[in-house]
Amino acid sequence: MAAKADRLVEAAKGAQDFGKELVMSTKLIPRITLWRTIVAVIFAAGIYATYARFALGFAQSTHLTDPQPWGLWVGLGTLCGVGLSAGGFAIAAAVYLLGFERYRPVLRTAVLVSFLGYMSVITGMMYELGLPWRIWHPIVMWNRHSVLFEVSWCVMLYTTVLALEFSPSLVEKIPWKGFREFYLTWHHKILIALVLIGTLLSSMHQSFLGALYLITKGKLDPLWYSPYLTTEFYLSAIPAGLAVTIMALYLCVRSLNVKLDLKILSDVSRVIAPLLALWGVFRIVDLVTHDATPYLFVWREETLSFWLEMILLVIAPVVLLIREKVRSNPQYLYWTCALVVMGFMANRLNVSITGLQATSGVYYVPKWTEFATSLAVLTAVVLAFRYAVIYLDILPKNPPQQRWMVSSAEA
Amino acid sequence: MENGRSILIDVTKCIGCRSCEQACKQLHGFPLESEAKLSVTALTVIEERGDKFVRRMCMHCQDPACASACLVGALKKTAAGPVTYDGSKCIGCRYCLVACPFNVPRYEWSKLVPYVKKCDMCAERQLAGQQPACVEACPTGASIVGTREEMLEEAQRRILGDSHYVKHIYGSEEAGGTSVFFISDVPFEKLGFVAAPKQPMPVLTANALGDGPTVILMGGALLSGLYWITQRRAEVAAVEGKENLGRKSR
Repeated sequence: MAAKADRLVEAAKGAQDFGKELVMSTKLIPRITLWRTIVAVIFAAGIYATYARFALGFAQSTHLTDPQPWGLWVGLGTLCGVGLSAGGFAIAAAVYLLGFERYRPVLRTAVLVSFLGYMSVITGMMYELGLPWRIWHPIVMWNRHSVLFEVSWCVMLYTTVLALEFSPSLVEKIPWKGFREFYLTWHHKILIALVLIGTLLSSMHQSFLGALYLITKGKLDPLWYSPYLTTEFYLSAIPAGLAVTIMALYLCVRSLNVKLDLKILSDVSRVIAPLLALWGVFRIVDLVTHDATPYLFVWREETLSFWLEMILLVIAPVVLLIREKVRSNPQYLYWTCALVVMGFMANRLNVSITGLQATSGVYYVPKWTEFATSLAVLTAVVLAFRYAVIYLDILPKNPPQQRWMVSSAEA
Repeated sequence: MENGRSILIDVTKCIGCRSCEQACKQLHGFPLESEAKLSVTALTVIEERGDKFVRRMCMHCQDPACASACLVGALKKTAAGPVTYDGSKCIGCRYCLVACPFNVPRYEWSKLVPYVKKCDMCAERQLAGQQPACVEACPTGASIVGTREEMLEEAQRRILGDSHYVKHIYGSEEAGGTSVFFISDVPFEKLGFVAAPKQPMPVLTANALGDGPTVILMGGALLSGLYWITQRRAEVAAVEGKENLGRKSR
């Protein structure tokens, strides 16, 4: 009884805080807080970097050179952006196709994270491409021998699928009942087909991102070059995408004072360790069978980067995640997932930058403007996510969230 | 294509006069100062390696990595021999730079509307019956042009007839064979030639791409099957639930 009263008090307090926040945000001059300052600095840097890229050119805005034609924008923006957005298809397939109903509460969050992730990849493309206004060319100019052609089509189609999968969250807020019901009925009919197509498209391009590097035989370091780059990219994307989903949900709980059943996070985390272990074993067997063993224990930057990747992406998370204590403690879980994400980023940056360094003959360190645009795009994604979960019904509904009622009543 | 135009470069005959560089720069209207490395204003250069002069240029592969990589098909191997670039298709992704096993294509990093630059073996001049500018300018016959078959025969004749030559025609098997050949009296690795893979580069990605349709068919069938099972189980569970309810209420 006392506990219930406590909860009520807490909820009321939460509602009050939220009300205050709403009043604040409607004022013309926002209150200056640490986080807002950080966001403002990031966007200011991003705006300057955008100016540098489009008004001054690559030479002024990047450290890219002929021997290192792909840098941070491809390695982080595209490879990590797409890979870390794999949670959407994995959870959608698990719920709709495999019948794992227990993941349904996090479905919308996963789809939203993926959708925003792909939007960030497309935005990043506008910086990355030398002639971005021709981004539509692959639609009409085909070269089916090109891995990049397949990737571009899969990304275009899958982003459309994600937009459609996500659309009900927006449509259900439309006040016209007739339209809403028509759309949702129609959506329900094609949903399974969408999920199925989305799963296939994702599986294709997640692995084809690895296939991009198959043609770098002789250039890419033996620790990363493998005929099975496709499988390795696919296998690592799923746990990394799930880790991002968990992190996003945990951050909602922490920063938005949302209440949700945290058991769902530990449920999702259950699959991560086996997948990472599988990836690790696959990778080691692959290296040994391709005679790359001598490179595993040499004192050089590539080998150190390799072990950093293995420790962050496989060894540490697996050791941590097999413990019930870690899986059931949201904070431990959050930091473990952060390790997975960092390890994943290490892997993609190793393939796209570290592994090509020796043969390129140049030592590429991204210019600050390259970091600035990437960071600005990421921040925009985080903000978009924040406002989406505040104003739309994205987050799991158990236990009932009184705050939402308040917010929708006030809005 | 098998017998398109080819260039044979004999390292032993090059005297480093850089007439080829100059002819190329004049033809393209580039600044005439000599450059150390290939660049957007130097599509061929003479590199000094010890007392040898080695010409660099696009190798014009028989089955080019760049052409297979280019997602819009801006780079093409023409039947006449040259690998050409159609700037009007290019979107500036630079995957050709990543893919090229010889690190030849260059990018106009300092331009606001940047394109890829590489030698096109004077495709237009050759169609008009002229020699490539660089070959025409060579005073010692270190670079000659002809059909691929002729050039391979000539190269073979020279290296078999003179024991000083290294017994290898660089380009005969590199990246599955190219349309530019080098013969030399100094081992190629000492002259900065890369040990490119022996198979045509596009083969490396063709297998993965070939798996695409299989993945779609098998994956589609598998996922549909799994979905059917999922749905069937849900149906059965629903019916059983009802039956149980019925029994209980009775």
